Amino acid sequence: MNKSMNVSEKVESTAEHSSRRDFFRKTATYSVSALVAASVMAPVKVKAEDDPAIMEEQPWATAWGKPVTYNLYGQPSPYESNVTRRTTELLSSGNMKASIAVTPIQDLSGIITPNGLFFNRCHGGTPEIDPNRHRLMIHGLVEKPLVLTMDQLKKYPNVSRIHFIECPANGGPEWRNPQFPSIQFAKGFMSCAEWTGVYIKDILKDLGLKPAAKWMLAEGGDSSHMGRTIPIDKVLDDAMIVWGQNGEALRPEQGYPIRLLVPGWEGNLCVKWLSRLEFASEPYYCKEETAKYTALTKHDGKAIQHFYANEVNSVITSPCPEKPWTDLKKGDIVEIEGLAWSGMGTIEGVDISFDGGKNWIEASLKGLVLPKAWTRFSYIYQYDGKPILLSSRARDDAGYVQPSVKQERDAVGVESVYHRNGIHTWEVTEKGEVHNVQILS
Amino acid sequence: MFKSYHKLVSMVTIVALASVSAMATSDVSRTYANGKKVIDGGMTYPVKNGKTSSYYVNTQKAYKNIRFGRVATANEIKAWDMDIMPDGTGLPDGKGSVEEGDEIYEAKCSACHFDFGAGGSGYPALQQGNAYEMQKTLKLQRLHPDDDGPKRNIGSYWPYASTLFWYIKTGMPHPAPMSLTDDEVYALVAYILSINEIQIDGEDLEDEFILSKENFSKIVMPNKDGFIPKIEGKNGLENIRNFYDKPKNFGGNKKRCMKNCFDGKPKVARIQGVGISDYNPPISEKKEKPAKKEVAGIKNVAKDTYESSCAVCHGTDAMGAPVFGDKKAWATVLKKGLDKVYENGIHGINGMPPKGGTLLEDAAFKSVVDYIISQSK
Repeated sequence: MNKSMNVSEKVESTAEHSSRRDFFRKTATYSVSALVAASVMAPVKVKAEDDPAIMEEQPWATAWGKPVTYNLYGQPSPYESNVTRRTTELLSSGNMKASIAVTPIQDLSGIITPNGLFFNRCHGGTPEIDPNRHRLMIHGLVEKPLVLTMDQLKKYPNVSRIHFIECPANGGPEWRNPQFPSIQFAKGFMSCAEWTGVYIKDILKDLGLKPAAKWMLAEGGDSSHMGRTIPIDKVLDDAMIVWGQNGEALRPEQGYPIRLLVPGWEGNLCVKWLSRLEFASEPYYCKEETAKYTALTKHDGKAIQHFYANEVNSVITSPCPEKPWTDLKKGDIVEIEGLAWSGMGTIEGVDISFDGGKNWIEASLKGLVLPKAWTRFSYIYQYDGKPILLSSRARDDAGYVQPSVKQERDAVGVESVYHRNGIHTWEVTEKGEVHNVQILS
Repeated sequence: MFKSYHKLVSMVTIVALASVSAMATSDVSRTYANGKKVIDGGMTYPVKNGKTSSYYVNTQKAYKNIRFGRVATANEIKAWDMDIMPDGTGLPDGKGSVEEGDEIYEAKCSACHFDFGAGGSGYPALQQGNAYEMQKTLKLQRLHPDDDGPKRNIGSYWPYASTLFWYIKTGMPHPAPMSLTDDEVYALVAYILSINEIQIDGEDLEDEFILSKENFSKIVMPNKDGFIPKIEGKNGLENIRNFYDKPKNFGGNKKRCMKNCFDGKPKVARIQGVGISDYNPPISEKKEKPAKKEVAGIKNVAKDTYESSCAVCHGTDAMGAPVFGDKKAWATVLKKGLDKVYENGIHGINGMPPKGGTLLEDAAFKSVVDYIISQSK
């Protein structure tokens, strides 16, 4: 790469000394005033209705861009600086070291979240782990307790799967009322990526699981030593140890060098910075499966523990508070677009309502439709300028349909904190502004 | 005769067609290969004809003979296996009294969790009153703005004290986990139980009460039976399977209404006031280059580091650390000489973890020390 830099430097210096020196000087003069350049190249009289973006020579069209040596690890355009994870004090403790930064789902396209925008929840900060000094230990009720270096782990044949990870508190601050004038905070505690790693069941073929093993403890090697207990059924179905995310190594904030992936289940089960798996005959009762991640119901103060799958859910991403319809004119034909997902299976379909969920019509799914993955839906709509209550309602192949907010509250109450999948509604005003509301009918 | 034969043929055709379409979707199942229902109430996607769902898979038989890594040694397992089970399995030898716990708490915990575990500034409260009374609040639902809500706390909510020991031992104090001795952890557990007014064998935990490996299993938390489904014991997994098989247990819905799904006009709940909108960074839809930041001098970096990593202990005198801005305290510290101050900071001293728990290079860490000293002269 240094070589190519030398080449471009050489080109530059050669130009300085070449017979074409005058030509380069001339071009440089023209670039100083773009408008002058335009009139030189195409002498026309610029009228008021002509777009300066077209009529004027732009600086990037009249000078060299950056050499290929610039940003050897690529960065987004600086003009995309508004597309970023965000935090809020309400959801933070420990000096932002036991906290969450949420994903700008309003700015994403397709079903893959770029690694730099993948939501980040941690319980003791993001460690900077040296992969050469990181080990995975698998022990407990196995015939052969094992230690793997990262190189050894990656020798296992890998599989790649597209799955979302969702914090079960996604939408959780809104059990009692809408609170966030923003889709990023109302629904952005989730992301979706292609993960690469090994099924745990494939490693267990060598280790010999003892028949008494019913539970697997997964523990992180970071300062929080985050642990969670997973039933053996899931371990032997589709739980993975992953090291790859969208084609590259996991980001530090996603568990570098390895994390557990428990497809479709609560994000906190996907233990980051994974260092230990232990098999046992009884569940462990880790800190994050008692103090947190249990859902208090209205039934005699009983809380649901080991609430695994993130249930079927959806949200319209366009329009949304961040992407309103304020620039639409009556009669414009526009796409209503959104995301649907289910931790229990595959999205079968999504319905849309314009009257707050009283009447529904079916939207189209678009793109790839995969188990326990984000699925895009779409509906082409003629905007008539009247206020609407715009809702989406997804259903999955397990037969589940998103409940209304009222149905969900009637079933479990309002104190669960976690696992809220009631129908989400946007109120679109006459001006095309979009507000976060809930329908209690 | 002919007629019914014809009927039979068309029936066979229908059956055949049905099984073709069943084959096309038979890689989706409600049950695992062992015949048991999927534990979370959802679906599984077994490999069929070399595929699971839309993904192709390698089905070569040699897959099962892959082995890498080495056998873990007994010492290695012992070093990492620090979990504590509800029945006390995994508890280390040791003991500590409520009174000792109180002292350790004041020195190492109160800066974040405040006096008597009252909590604040984003750190959780460790008690909200008598655990047995608070446990009764778990039935409360805040259906109206002025309603009292459930108090979820260590004493009122957690089913087992084993979790408390394990949490403190491996995760606390938050800026310096793994720095407490087992005796200190026993003492802190005893103290936290006492401020929650938990009783053991019907007795209050007085200052002299000593918690140890031997009497730990006598702790019975008030909300031990507050959780569903029951996951312990021989039928734990089957209880979970049965629980998620019934949608009403967890608020699942299987009805898809398309028309007139409720009476009258929709009842709309809106955000009160501006809602929660203090976002960092603020929401923006503008496509523009970020404003050029002032070149961050060492002082600014050091200031940021101080605020994010050091202020938790050096901000007040609660932790016994020399307080930021306290000229006298820092003059005393500096009597040892600046090099010694650097050295102590880099290696850790008293309650302070090495480099204050940061991952800074030595030079960068020293600049943070310089900053603190410069602001304390």
